[in-house]
Amino acid sequence: MGVLIGILLVAFAAGVFGSMLGVGGGIIMVPMLTLAFGVPIKTAVATSIVCVIATSSMAQTSFVSRGMTNIRLGMLLEVATSIGAVAGGVTAVLVDGRFLQVAFALVLFYVAWQMSRRRGDVVPVRTGLLEAGYYDPASGEDVRYGVRRPRLGFVLCLGAGNISGLLGVGGGAFKVPIMNLLMGAPLKATIATSNLMIGVTAATSAAIFYGRGYMDPHWVVPAALGILAGARLGPRLAARMSARALGVTFQVVLAIFGLLMLLKAVGVPV
Amino acid sequence: MSGVRAGQSDAQAPPHDAHVHRMDPVERTIRAILLVGIAVSVALMAVGLVLGAARGAMLPRAMVTLSALPAALARLDPAAYVSLGLIVLVATPFVRVVGSLVAFVVERDRAYVLITATVLVVMCLGVLLGRA
Repeated sequence: MGVLIGILLVAFAAGVFGSMLGVGGGIIMVPMLTLAFGVPIKTAVATSIVCVIATSSMAQTSFVSRGMTNIRLGMLLEVATSIGAVAGGVTAVLVDGRFLQVAFALVLFYVAWQMSRRRGDVVPVRTGLLEAGYYDPASGEDVRYGVRRPRLGFVLCLGAGNISGLLGVGGGAFKVPIMNLLMGAPLKATIATSNLMIGVTAATSAAIFYGRGYMDPHWVVPAALGILAGARLGPRLAARMSARALGVTFQVVLAIFGLLMLLKAVGVPV
Repeated sequence: MSGVRAGQSDAQAPPHDAHVHRMDPVERTIRAILLVGIAVSVALMAVGLVLGAARGAMLPRAMVTLSALPAALARLDPAAYVSLGLIVLVATPFVRVVGSLVAFVVERDRAYVLITATVLVVMCLGVLLGRA
């Protein structure tokens, strides 16, 4: 019973942060389950993938009704991330896993540094491409923006999908900076849109894990219920926080992800 | 920085607030599918938990396979209801993509019909490749 409540609480926190930042939070759930609760690694990964789906679905019900999700941008980039993820299974034999984890960590640190150099959010520009708008309750402004560099964003999302397929993480940590720093969409819109996108790749992986029998309801059910509750709260926090505070939180989480990946690379079972 | 505090719920916003987002058909479709998916999933898991508790059992340790599911549901096996709840949760993003596809067809947005169909094909391909 204590374990059950523990999982519920951890999942709740992961649901809040995952939905608030658009990263799903699988990379946090896996080490928590293996280290704190002694869950076997494959079962932990299967559990965290279901958690990403629950985060994505629940968070969208809020983000979509606020108009923060840029559905057309998300669907376009989903083509790239899903192809990249499927190809990840094929290219997995070609690349050394440890090299990839170190590269992943370095890119995360680089992105966190790039985001911290920018003192505020990107300035929205009406480019006429995939335009969308939402009301930001934190600033009290209606934000309208368009997207830049769709081709480069698409290609990088192929790479992000590929790496997430290889390493078994959702890849939201890359999708948010690609859409924000590179394509010029405001942070809140990219967080909402990334939340939509991570459900697609996670659902594909989850179907595979179910078929292989790695899904253990003993862990998945309390985790999913905790996540669903947390992911109701996360989008509200994201909407009401200033873009600056949200950005700083995102950078800190990226740095933690990077550290976890480095630990993995040197053989710590996280 | 104003309005950072949580706690002021959406319900307290004035009814004629100009800032309320008016959802387009695609957004409404997606939101409805996700809400129904989550509700059905949670309801099925709850039924499974109640059935299990009635027999003094904890959560099952394995998912019921798809082929064994109908028979297990018929004999009120708690594991079957929990499994079906999780299957619905995992299937919801697939249904969401199918729903968006239909919404784009209705809107006659050819480019996005093609884009969404591609996503759906790649998802299904991923599942098929992963089984091999």
